[in-house]
Amino acid sequence: MTLENVKILICDDSILARKQLKDLILKHGSPVFLEASNGQDAIDLYKKEAPDLVFLDIVMPIKDGNAAIREIVSFDKNADIIIASSVGTQSELKAAIEAGAKDFIQKPLNPSQIDYIITSRFEGR
Amino acid sequence: MYAQFFGNYLLSHGVVTQEQLLQAMQKAATEKIKLGTLAIHAGYMTADEVERIIILQTHQDRRFGELAIQEGYLTEAEVSELLKAQQPDFLLLGQALVDGNMIDNKQLQDLIIRYQSENELSDFDYSADAKEQIDQLIEKFFVVAEHPLSDYEVPFLRLFLNNLIRFIGDDFTLAAPSLCKEYPRNYCVSQQIIGSCPMNTFLDMSQETAIAFASRYADELFTEFDEYVRSSLEDFLNLNNGLFTVNLSNEDSVELILTPPVTESPELLVFNVETYLLPIVYPFGTLYFLLEMTKNS
Repeated sequence: MTLENVKILICDDSILARKQLKDLILKHGSPVFLEASNGQDAIDLYKKEAPDLVFLDIVMPIKDGNAAIREIVSFDKNADIIIASSVGTQSELKAAIEAGAKDFIQKPLNPSQIDYIITSRFEGR
Repeated sequence: MYAQFFGNYLLSHGVVTQEQLLQAMQKAATEKIKLGTLAIHAGYMTADEVERIIILQTHQDRRFGELAIQEGYLTEAEVSELLKAQQPDFLLLGQALVDGNMIDNKQLQDLIIRYQSENELSDFDYSADAKEQIDQLIEKFFVVAEHPLSDYEVPFLRLFLNNLIRFIGDDFTLAAPSLCKEYPRNYCVSQQIIGSCPMNTFLDMSQETAIAFASRYADELFTEFDEYVRSSLEDFLNLNNGLFTVNLSNEDSVELILTPPVTESPELLVFNVETYLLPIVYPFGTLYFLLEMTKNS
């Protein structure tokens, strides 16, 4: 599997969380990483770069994850957005899926979940 | 988690110094429990009997259990039961103190009896997920100025202490908690929990302690107080509080909202209500956790 032509947007206000997620993805190849630390920057980057996959935190300053999903999905209804958050309550999960997220992973990140997300989307490339 | 409370008991009763305790906790983390310690805890053997077997072992190359059975102190069934039963982690700490010559087995025996009796632990099931029993310890420990913990503070603190064990390490002890209305911060991150049990959470430590804390949390060696270190503190608090909201949502159908974690800027934090201050002592430094209940739940 090669991720050379793949763009992955990681949006989390924690630089450490972004780094940990990148490290897990880098085991599978070297995609182009786009990084944002709040929901508004994620929306702007999405519109500019049209990434193949988005990882989004929920609790963030300026604009939270669910608000960002709604705006991204209204711009691109096929946007592939995964929520990665420590706030995995039923109501947050429901809100994220209703807003248009494809999946929800609970922090702390489980490497095998990231492996599955990457291989299921990009294997064979 | 029993070891952390037992550690506080030893400190507050002047049995050991903080330095001795931290040394013993580090040693306990790499040790296995000995049959003699288990036998003292179960009340099957006295400290004197254990000492006698240890001396016999210096003359005969045989296991403790075999000699204890030979001398009539234990039966085979008792040995088997002791080895199978789940044991409280504070016994390992006690054993490390004995091995480090800070106390002897007789003192350990007396301490176990006194500690269990004072904390009503005698019939405890020491399995790791015994929530009610941990909660009982937390409630007793946090009675400060006749200010009992609320229904939400107890599970919050249980989760917080478990997350310290899970993400930072179990080699800490708790210093006595207190209530404060002001707090001079070092490097402090905070996060608000909003909803039916609103609270403000604060985690404060020196920059040197933060570097060591972050190294453990992120499992990477940090040497400078940089943005990764700062992010680690916020991440830990956010992770803990996020898991708390998940637990309350799943168990009590209570929905809470978190604000993004922030770094506190004023040098003196002033609280609206009396706030719990819990010092947590690790070998690499002391963490100060503050819990402000913004209204009575």
